[in-house]
This record gives sequence, C-alpha cells and structure tokens, in this order.
Amino acid sequence: MTGGLSVDGLTVRFGGAVAVDGFSFTAPPGRITGLIGPNGAGKTTTFNACTGIIRPAAGTVGLDGVDVTRVSVAARARRGLGRTFQEVELFDSLTVAANVAMGREGSLAGANPLRHVVGHSGDRRAVDAVTAEALEMCGIAELAPARAGSLSTGHRRLVELARVLAGRFHLLLLDEPSAGLDEHESEAFAGILRRAVAERGVGIFLVEHDMALVMAVCEHIHVLDFGRHLFSGTPDEVAASAAVRDAYLGAEVGDVA
Amino acid sequence: MSDWLPFIVSGVASGSIFALAALGLVLTQKTSGVFNFAHGAVAATGAYAFFELWQLRGLPWPLAAVVAIVVVGPLLGLVLEWVTRTLGDARVVMRIVATVGILLALQGGLTWAYGALTRRFPPFLPTGTFGLGGTRVGWDQLVAVLVALAGAIGLSLFLSRTRTGVAMRAVVDDAPLLDLMGTDPTRIRRMSWMIGAAFAAASGVLIGPFLGLDATLLTLLVVQAFGAAAIGRFASLPLTYVGGLAVGILSACVTKVAADVPGIAGLPPGIPFIVLFAVLVLLPKRLPTDRRRRRPTILAAVSAPPRPGRAAVIVVAVAAVVVPHVVGARLPVYMAGAALALIFLSLGLLVWTAGQVSLCHAAFAAVGAAAFYHLTGSGVPWFLALLLTGLVTVPLGALVAVPAIRLAGIYLALATFGFGILFQQVFYSTDMMFTTINQRVIPRPAGFSSDMAYYYVLLGVLAAAMVFVAVVLRSRLGRLLRALADSPLALTTQGTTVSVSLTLVFCISAFLAGIGGALLGGVTEAINGSGFGPFNSLLWVAVIVLAGVRLFRGAVVAALAVAVVPSYSSISPELQTTLFGMLAVAAALLADGAVDVGRPFRRWASASEGRATSPVAARTAGRLGPMATEAGR
Repeated sequence: MTGGLSVDGLTVRFGGAVAVDGFSFTAPPGRITGLIGPNGAGKTTTFNACTGIIRPAAGTVGLDGVDVTRVSVAARARRGLGRTFQEVELFDSLTVAANVAMGREGSLAGANPLRHVVGHSGDRRAVDAVTAEALEMCGIAELAPARAGSLSTGHRRLVELARVLAGRFHLLLLDEPSAGLDEHESEAFAGILRRAVAERGVGIFLVEHDMALVMAVCEHIHVLDFGRHLFSGTPDEVAASAAVRDAYLGAEVGDVA
Repeated sequence: MSDWLPFIVSGVASGSIFALAALGLVLTQKTSGVFNFAHGAVAATGAYAFFELWQLRGLPWPLAAVVAIVVVGPLLGLVLEWVTRTLGDARVVMRIVATVGILLALQGGLTWAYGALTRRFPPFLPTGTFGLGGTRVGWDQLVAVLVALAGAIGLSLFLSRTRTGVAMRAVVDDAPLLDLMGTDPTRIRRMSWMIGAAFAAASGVLIGPFLGLDATLLTLLVVQAFGAAAIGRFASLPLTYVGGLAVGILSACVTKVAADVPGIAGLPPGIPFIVLFAVLVLLPKRLPTDRRRRRPTILAAVSAPPRPGRAAVIVVAVAAVVVPHVVGARLPVYMAGAALALIFLSLGLLVWTAGQVSLCHAAFAAVGAAAFYHLTGSGVPWFLALLLTGLVTVPLGALVAVPAIRLAGIYLALATFGFGILFQQVFYSTDMMFTTINQRVIPRPAGFSSDMAYYYVLLGVLAAAMVFVAVVLRSRLGRLLRALADSPLALTTQGTTVSVSLTLVFCISAFLAGIGGALLGGVTEAINGSGFGPFNSLLWVAVIVLAGVRLFRGAVVAALAVAVVPSYSSISPELQTTLFGMLAVAAALLADGAVDVGRPFRRWASASEGRATSPVAARTAGRLGPMATEAGR
C-alpha cells in the first residue's frame, strides 16, 4: 500500500442491492483525484465506506499504508482523513469561527477524556491560528462571528471546507463541494483547492457533478457506474473515453472539458 | 413442570394484554414516526372510563366496555394525532416532551378526579376456572388471550386486505406520494391513531380487574408494552405480539423463581424493563430511523452558553439571600427549590447543552440521597460525604451513557425511561436504598441544622455548582457538547470519539443530580423513594423544557415552578402535574423548543430599557417581588 488512500475490492451492499461492487482505486497525497459517475453510481457510498460511516461487505480501506477497514470514523479522522458532506453538516447553533475551530479542536480532544476537558497549554493559540488561516484561505473571515445555521448554502459549503482545512487532515474527501454554488463561486473554490494542495501538500479526493470543475482541478479521475469501476485516467483521457460518454448519455463530458 | 404451568398460564394471559397494547403502540409509531410515551396513560384512561360508566353510572359492562374502547380511546387517539401532526419535524426533545406531557396531563388528571388511593376494580368477566392439561385456567384469562389474538389477527387482516390498511402501510413509506395519489395521509394517520389508542384502551379495560384502579400503576403496567414493542423492533406486528407473550411468560416465571430466592424479590416487576433496556442496548442497529430531515434553522438561543449580565446575577443573588427573611413559614419550599435547582441544572446540562434526554434523572437523585444516608451514617463528615455522594452517582451516569452511545433521540429516552423504572422497582425498596419501610433519615451539617442556616448551605452548594457548570461550559468540553448537540456525525468526522464526550456529560450530570438528591433529603431530614419515582423524571424533563434554553435561568425558573409556586396556590399536586403536562405539550408545539418563559418579561423590560432600571432587575423583581411581598404579609 502506498501513501494516501488506497482501496481494494470495496463492496458495499444495502440489503440485496449492491451499491459498490469490487471498486479498487487510490487517492495519493499531493494531488487532486476525482471520482465521477452518474447519479446512483455509488460515489457517496464509497466515501462513507472510506471514512467508516458504513461497513463494507468486502474489500479493504488503506490509509498511508495501514489497513483501517475496521477502524472507527473518529480514529480514521485522527489518522488524517477529513471529509465534507453532500448535505453540509455544520454545527448550526455555533458561530462560523467556532465551527472551523472545531475542525482542529475535535481531533485534539480525540478519545482521551482528559483532553476532552482541558487542552495542552499552547492549544488555544494554535487553534486560533489555524482557524484564522482557514477562514482567510476560504475568504470567509468576515463571516467569523455569524451563526452557521443562518448562512446560505454557498457559505455553508465554504465553512465546511474551512473546517476540514483547519483540521489535522492530510487527505480530504470532498463530497460535491460545488453543489449549489454559482459559476463564480465554483471558480473561487477551485482556487482554494489548488492552493491547499500547493501550500500544504494535502491530497484531495473529490466527488463532483460540475464537470468543468472536475476537469479543471483533477490530475486523475476515476469513473464509477452502477457501483463498478468504469474507467480511470487523466481528464483528457476521461473526456475522450467512449465508455464514459455512454455512461453519461449526453452529459457532454468532452464538450465541457 | 406442573409447578410451572400455572405461572405460564398467567404469563400468557398478562402477556396477551401487553401484546395488545404493544400492537397499538407499534401501529402509531409506524404510521406517524412518533413514539407515544402516553400510550400507558391512554390505557389508564380507558380503564377509568370503563369503571366510571360501569360502576358509577350503572351501565351494563359490555356497553361500558364498548364506549371506553371504541369512543374514549379513539378520541384520545385523535388528540394525539393532532399533537404529533402539529409537531411536524420538531427536534427530538420536543417530540419526546409532547407525548410525555400528555402522559402527565392524563395521569395527573385521573389521580385528581378519582383520588390517589387504589380503588377496587371488580371483575366483570367470569372468574371461574376450567382444567387444561393439569392446571386451572381462568375464564377471564382465556378472554384476555382471545381478545389479544383477535386484535392481532384482525389488525393484520386489516392492514393486508383493506384499502385503508394498505394506505396505512403506504403512509409509512411515502406520505407525500400517497397524497399525490389522492389519499389524504392525515386521514390515514388519524385512523391509525384511533385504532392504536383503542388497542391501548382495550388493554387497560382488560388489565383493570387484575390490578385495581390506580392511574400510576395502570400507566406503568402498559409501559411494559414498550418491552414487547422493542422485541418487535418497533416495526414488526407479529414479532411484537410474540414479544408481548414472551415478556408476560418471562415475568411470571421469574415471579415463581423469586418466591424461592429472597434476594431477588424486587426483580419480577422489573423484567419487562430489563427486556426493554437489553433489547435497546444490545440490538439497536435496525431500529427504524427518523427519515425526516432536521429543520435547518435552529433558533438562535439554542445551546448558547449562558451569559447572564452582572446586574442579573447580583439581583438574583440578593433576592436569594433575602428570601429567608421575608417568606416566613414558607422557607422549606425555598429550601426544596434550591436543592431542585441543582437537579434541574444537571438535567439542563444534558438536555440543552448536549442535546441528550434522560428520563431517569430521579434515579440519579435517589441514589444520591441513599448514598448520602449511608456515608453520613458511617461517620463521614457532612461536606466530604456530599462530595463522595456525587462520586458514587457517577458510575450510574456512566451506565446510562451506554445506551446514549448506542442509541439516539427517542430510543435513548425510552432506554433511560425503562432504566429508571427498572431501578426503582428493583433497588428502591432494598436495604441499599430506602428499605421496605421506605424511610431514610438525612442529616443536615452540624451547626447548620436550623432551616435558615441549612437554606444558606443549599444556596452555597448551588452557587458552587453553577460556577462549576459555567467552567465546564467555557472549557473545551462545553464546546464539544454544543457541537455534539448539533451534529454528532460532523463531530465524529473531526476526530472526536463522541462516546467519550457523552459519557463525560452523563457522569457530570449524575454527579450534580446525586448531590441534589442528597440535599433535597436534608430539607425534610427524612426521605423515601416516593419523591424519586419515574413520574418525577418525566415531570422534571417536561418542566426543564418549559423553563427555556438558558441553562442557569432555566434551572432556577424550573425549581421555582415545581417547588415554590405551588405553595402560593391552592392547586392540588395532581392538578399541577396535569398543568405542567399540558404546558409542556404547548411548549413543544408552539415553537420547537424556542419557548422561553422569560421572553415576555424581556420584551417588556427592553421596552423600558431607557429608564434607569436594569432590564433583568425589573424582570426578576416582576417575578419574585409579588410572591415575596405576599408571603411577607
């Protein structure tokens, strides 16, 4: 197993239905990897299996060369696997700043009862610093005192991204981060992702429906169709693939790219 | 084997009645998505209606039974349907409190109208017996079995064969789709609530003669149906029926065993709750989940850390210090209020800060009182004993955190409710706690034995507890708990093991509640289990929700409402319970927990802010002033 995320033979069943069927892929650090596929292809299910929210029927999930298939969600997060959600999950009654700070403080608390109550002496300053940096990076510093529950979808997505950037994560799983954003916001989003990779060397694994964004930022793309691996390659190769084109049936993958 | 047969027969009979009640419960839970805590109270109301019509109004019993089951039960069902429909997608706490409120209102109302003493409920079915395979079976037992069987078969035929029944199953899957297809989901839900409530009423009528007419007992007995429903995983009607029988038979057999083993005499009545607790904790995975999305907007004040103004703190503190000098003979109710405020603080920390519901808080307080008795009795100094009392209660909090880790929302509430009842039935009357004589002497600290001195001790401990909670809220734990209340999923994905956070908050809450229970014991200097029953737990949760989301103010308001205000009115305790129940329902319905009893005061106060009076001072004076002066007269 290599660094980053390496998944082998992942199979997820819901009752009789096979949502993901023997899917193998890697998402290495230091680059943006895309995961695309038509609706219902099993993309979010793959994410849920990678982060431990659902248990796969078969297959292994490796993180930085360690098999984490049986490791809890929180423990995977502490090993550096961060994620966002298709339907944004924020702490709605907390402020934006508190939400983002929780990205770091949540892992500092970890599983240690003592660390739940009191931090180390330098924690407070460190949390404040990474929070400010993440807010600035996502361009939402001025939203810091606002209550997260009161924000628009676009802002909520940015807060969620800032939270995952404030955490001690080196692999980010982003589930349709641009859904609900306009074209301008999407472009800004792409800029943030590139900057995160360039400045911090994190790996990003991206589920996205916005083909323009996927083609623009991803170095490598996996295509999933009906839970099965359909194709993998660079954006150009994906755009040129007849199989991918068929799966999308006129979604005009190539045109957008 | 022949020794066991009579017990199995009686177990099948009582189990059939549980099954009947449980079928109604599962039906409404399935079609509306709301777990009806008031199901037992509906059964009790059915039994009382039957008693009233038959015994007091002289109707022939079959007619009285039909009216109780086909009219009274369904009418309550309609009320419940309206309440649950109006609740919509309110948060879990509100949905729990809404039906808990109805339970309190019905149970209090029945006790108020018919008295708290158990009345004899004469048998209406033939009491003769007939031989069956070497044992005697009562005709009344046979009727119970047949009625439950007929109910189960009738219900399953109704659901599979009739148009309305099929629509009832469809409403579970997709109510909006059913609406589009031209069938009104509300009509279907109404029907299912009427049927469910009729089943409850029928079980109440059947069980009445076995039990006597006692609103509390009847309500609790049908709560045993919760165990049966849990075996059916709150979804499967056949399994629920089997579960009812299993619970009945198991209880009866344990009764037989317990007759020979003196140490477990308290166990048999606890069996259904052991089943409930065990099923919920051990097999939680496939429970029907709540498919509704949470309401996206959460009200601003929810789970905000308390930020009382300095003026507010000073005024409340001064009022609290002055109280003993102006209230005269009413001081004991203020003492009880101070002790209860500590318990409400511990409950509010769970409900409002961490978003967890505990329906067994009275058990924490009871354990505290009992532990304090033992500690002071064995010569531990008073203040040290108080601290140790809190520590003794902590493991109980950790134990209740186990279901909290595995369950969420309604199932957690249910597990804690079952735990509270179980704890009361099995432990309260043992030597460890209140003994069968049901009395424990709780000392006051040496040198503080006068009412006034003890009141100041209570105030001091309460103030210390508030400082402690304020520190917790401002610590990392406070932030984690507020995050946890909003989204456990998001917090987990940040790397926090939320079971640790949950265990900590339950331990802290139990610590404070245990101390509160011990202090409450010192108010009367003698205490028994009756002040710490499962209904107290329900009442406390209803009141803490009524008192609003601001933690400290809520605790004080709740304590005043429960302990102090009633002493200024002539309303009987039963009617108070009814009132609190109805207010809790209203609170849950009005604004998804945004109900904040201080709001009118605040609005009035902010209007007068231009004047020199501090808004909070004016508010507090408005609340405490009239009472104080009235008492001073």
